[in-house]
Amino acid sequence: MGSTWLISGSPGCGKTTWILNTIKNHQGACGYLRLAEQAESDHEQLAVSQIDYTFLKDQIPHLEDFSDCRETSISQHKDFLTLIELSQSQSPESLGTIGIDSYAKNRLESLKLQPDRHLHFGRDSELPNNDTLVFNKLESWRLNLASSVWDPQSLNTFWFELVNGAYGDVYRAKALMNLPDGQSIFFNWIVSQKGSQFLPLKTVSPPNGRPERPSGIVIQGKGLDCITIQSTINLCLLNDALLEMHQMPLRDRQPEVLHAS
Amino acid sequence: MKHAVISCLHANLAALKAVLNDIDQNGISDITCLGDLVGYGPQPNEVVDLVRERAITSCQGCWDEDIIEGLNACECSYPSQLAEKRGHLAHEWTAEQLTDINKDFLASLPTSIRRDRILFVHGSPNSQHEYLLPDMNAFAALERVEKAGADTLFCGHTHQPYVRELKNGSIRVRLQNTSNHNAEDKEINLPMRKIVNAGSVGEPRHGSTNATYVIHDDVTGEVEIKEVAYDIGLTCQAIIDAGLPRIFAWRLSHGFEFAEQAEDASHVCER
Amino acid sequence: MIERWALVSGLKGDLETYELIQSELKKARGVTALFVLGDMIGPERNCDALLNRLQNPRRKELEPQCIYGWWEEQLLTEQGFRGEQKADTLRLNQGEEVVSALLNAVDPSHLKWLASLQFGFIELDCGLIHGSSADVGDNLTSETSPLILLDRLTRLAINRLFTAHSTKQFHLELTGGGIDSQVKDLNGQHQHQQKVSKQSIIGIGAGASYTIYDVGSDKTHFLTAGGQSNSKGKGFA
Repeated sequence: MGSTWLISGSPGCGKTTWILNTIKNHQGACGYLRLAEQAESDHEQLAVSQIDYTFLKDQIPHLEDFSDCRETSISQHKDFLTLIELSQSQSPESLGTIGIDSYAKNRLESLKLQPDRHLHFGRDSELPNNDTLVFNKLESWRLNLASSVWDPQSLNTFWFELVNGAYGDVYRAKALMNLPDGQSIFFNWIVSQKGSQFLPLKTVSPPNGRPERPSGIVIQGKGLDCITIQSTINLCLLNDALLEMHQMPLRDRQPEVLHAS
Repeated sequence: MKHAVISCLHANLAALKAVLNDIDQNGISDITCLGDLVGYGPQPNEVVDLVRERAITSCQGCWDEDIIEGLNACECSYPSQLAEKRGHLAHEWTAEQLTDINKDFLASLPTSIRRDRILFVHGSPNSQHEYLLPDMNAFAALERVEKAGADTLFCGHTHQPYVRELKNGSIRVRLQNTSNHNAEDKEINLPMRKIVNAGSVGEPRHGSTNATYVIHDDVTGEVEIKEVAYDIGLTCQAIIDAGLPRIFAWRLSHGFEFAEQAEDASHVCER
Repeated sequence: MIERWALVSGLKGDLETYELIQSELKKARGVTALFVLGDMIGPERNCDALLNRLQNPRRKELEPQCIYGWWEEQLLTEQGFRGEQKADTLRLNQGEEVVSALLNAVDPSHLKWLASLQFGFIELDCGLIHGSSADVGDNLTSETSPLILLDRLTRLAINRLFTAHSTKQFHLELTGGGIDSQVKDLNGQHQHQQKVSKQSIIGIGAGASYTIYDVGSDKTHFLTAGGQSNSKGKGFA
């Protein structure tokens, strides 16, 4: 008989990081499911969970994803650990005996998953206690960036401007971005924590045109200037010719050629 | 006698007025400008008018040159695609705004000004586009001043004011060539030279939003770096009123350059 | 493994000398690469045969890796490959006849290949350029101010610069020295002493004078095709 844990907490409290570490330290196989309160819009929910899941799957290739699956019987195996991530700002106690909202509860029932532990950030002392913010009534904006590749320096500038408030008060930004050398970088930033997290995925695409894998950005905040964010991103993305210019030297390194300045 | 050196005004009228006011209060009438009167900022004509009205001796910066001759800087002088696209946008806007008289004035500016053993340039004696950063290889920096036949070199372009003294230099070499089978050792001693960067009036990048310039005493050789506060709100509003990208106002009000500077300090575009 | 490079320049259409060098390289041990640092062409003779050979090396012959030199730059400029400029420096210094002679010396069918050549190569920590990082016509000799030499090395962040434009053969090593740098800015004052690190400039010669560089031992051997070694090539640690 496997175990099923429900991990809940506010956005940005560190659920994904804690889950990643827990899975890494677990001996047996693991499954993962990300749930959200009904309050979150479905599209944006999908974008965030895709970014998180792609990142987790990259770090732990054998991870079982239950998000769009109806068959969870594998979780019954001995040593199998299922971790359910639930984005929930309210404390479990305020939501009655079961501790989660009815939307999440129905999802769990339909997947035949019954948590035998519920850990909540801010309540249970075995979880790290990070400062979090109340994310009610925030605007959010997302962009699918599949097959888009960034000019690396432009990405630096854009991210710096974004998290420093050039396009409105950003509370949280999460993204997976493609670089011309085939790397995909997981970006994670929250206003209450110092600095951005930049984690390159282990999986690197060959420098051969546009990579086929999930990529996108989700931003939450107030007074977001979405039109300018979108137009700035457009100025940062490489066209085919420039992408080829970046990738060509990576494919054929020898000998290094000097151009007249 | 004391004289003031200003650089990189970047069409920021409020900053230029504040700096000129500060220079006046120091009782200095001799002012040299190291170029980039325009570019990014919202008041190119007003700034050029004021420089002409005050009869400020000026050399030409890379922006001034590009506005006259069309975009001359190669893309590689921009650190990123984003910076390049923003730069082109600012270029087109500025070229459209500038009056013919002011364009002629910018075209008439010399690339360097020499006063005895003092040389004034925008970037470096090699190029208006070359950055002489304070941490540039000391020998390479000395080579720039030495090649120009100067004791003191005044430059701008980096938007970071500094005074750099290069002294007690020597290089030892060992030579072997075909006509001489024995290695020959020699040592040369290098002269002392000084590089003064005047910072930026209109687009500071030294960590604060204040305008900077320098005062040089040509008798004692002393250089004082001056920092002058000005009403940034005025310039930011002018940027928005002019229809320039809002991000320029945001960057200026946070003490960042409109576009980041090229990473490779020694990069020279020789086109 | 022994790795040695042969460095050649200034052939100016002289196929005979090129063949002689190739035959000597065949006999020399461990030469793994042949770099031709420009000036494959010149106004003195027709250069087509040499250009054909460089583009179509014979079997069992070291394949040349070519970059463009000062004469190629003049031809390409005159032929409109450098924007609107013409070879005015050449015209001014050597006259219209030399410009015409250069145009006549190279069949236009070679222009595409010449235009595709690079300015230089970086191999290991070595720069291989016709002139220098500053200019294809940079005339570096053993008499050039060490300050300028140091600058040319610094521009590319390399430890050895192989140059050809001066046509001279020399190996000049920067062995020591330093400079004090004092910077004052709005944050205060900082002192810094910069040392000269061990770096070299090597003039590879031109025409029949060529150079073999032993990568492992960092030794240069100055040779003349058809003649003797020009130096014992000792003493360069």
